[in-house]
Amino acid sequence: MNVVTIHGDRQVSYDKPASGDRPRDASHSIPRTGKSGDAVRGDDENTRFASLVLPHLGEAYSLARWLTGNRTDAEDVVQDACLRAFRATGSFAGGSARAWVLTIVRHSSYAWLRKNRPTALVVVEDLEAVESAQANPGDPDAETPESELIAKTEAAHLEAAISALPAPFRETLVLRDVQGLDYREIAEVTGVPMGTVMSRLARARRRLIATLGRSQP
Amino acid sequence: MTRPTLQDDPTLLVHAYLDGELDPINALAVEQRLASDAVLAAEYERVQALQQVIRERLPREVPPPGLRARVEAAVRPQPRWRPAGQPSWRALAASILVTAFVASGSTWMALAPRPADQVGGAIVAGHIRSLMAPQPIDIASSDRHTVKPWFNGRIPQAPRVVDLAKDDFPLVGGRLDVVGRIPVPTLVYRHAKHLISLTAVPASGSANSPLVVHRVEGYNVLRWIDDGVAYWAMSDMSAADLDRFAQLFRTASSDQ
Repeated sequence: MNVVTIHGDRQVSYDKPASGDRPRDASHSIPRTGKSGDAVRGDDENTRFASLVLPHLGEAYSLARWLTGNRTDAEDVVQDACLRAFRATGSFAGGSARAWVLTIVRHSSYAWLRKNRPTALVVVEDLEAVESAQANPGDPDAETPESELIAKTEAAHLEAAISALPAPFRETLVLRDVQGLDYREIAEVTGVPMGTVMSRLARARRRLIATLGRSQP
Repeated sequence: MTRPTLQDDPTLLVHAYLDGELDPINALAVEQRLASDAVLAAEYERVQALQQVIRERLPREVPPPGLRARVEAAVRPQPRWRPAGQPSWRALAASILVTAFVASGSTWMALAPRPADQVGGAIVAGHIRSLMAPQPIDIASSDRHTVKPWFNGRIPQAPRVVDLAKDDFPLVGGRLDVVGRIPVPTLVYRHAKHLISLTAVPASGSANSPLVVHRVEGYNVLRWIDDGVAYWAMSDMSAADLDRFAQLFRTASSDQ
């Protein structure tokens, strides 16, 4: 599977049907992803990997954590993504290494979710329904709290509200407002046009704002 | 695919304005519209409040300490020890241990004070590269309360950021440079037409040191150590101005 050319949610394929047990430690997840001989590379690949991928490990982990919703899962996903990145270092065509790494992490996250938690991805499959149900900007029945109220949001409440966003909105918001990518990079990572990035971001923020206003303790 | 225009959906442009994505003409158009449109202005206030609360209150996810070693172990060249499907966990555990040992050694080497010219060379290269890039910075802001949080989540420890605008050294932004294999924060300040790159390299255990002057490839470089951090300041401006900048940075308060 060529991870570099993957764009969009629908082209993310998965290897096997869902299996019940979640591989947690390295002794399970390495053979799952590392085909025989993959790890046998020269020093060049390792050097390239170290300069392209390792500086972005923190961000890779953060994105995986937001997409899987779980720290243990995020570790497995990052390891899987790093192996994919390692195998693909030769095909990195320049540009932003950070966006490239996050693209692979995003792909690995969704592959992992499909395999282990298919139910968590229903919203991704129904993306078009979500988008069309939201065709009117600004959710007519949503409350629009004052900015003073938003500013009082507690960390736990904020984290729960972001976690509750549908995946396409959540990833766009996290990439922009948590990780600080610009629109062009987000379009690259999520494989959608820039206009879609903009509308998803606006919808994600409006949903978040409505949630924060509605259920402030 | 074209971007929406102000006529299509002005709220999208308010978001883009807050994200720093608009060219000056569109930014001006949004500013004018905000001044006269209460609905848009309210959206602006809410989104700005949301961005601020995410920036200041959302806990940053820091990778667990073993992750890097685990990843390096996974990609390290290994003998083909796996004829059938099942791996030998003993071999794997051993390789992780060895790798963790090696990796911790290499981390130490990268963080320990290296020959100064080696680090200096990498940092000057970062400065020169940044001057050739379209943008010398990854995050553009004169507000240190925006620049400092940007580093959180990207590197383990955000650098000390101080406001020197009143001394004629306004903050321009920040970026990440890589020294050895370690991403390090660089702050960019401006003085008249000159840019100053200030890179902070972890140097835990090193005693504070006074300013040391280097001259690398035509650039004035100053190095000093404060509180376990080695600072490298470089610019093409005069040595006297750079010295003044370093003194101001060292003595300025990073609170308020």
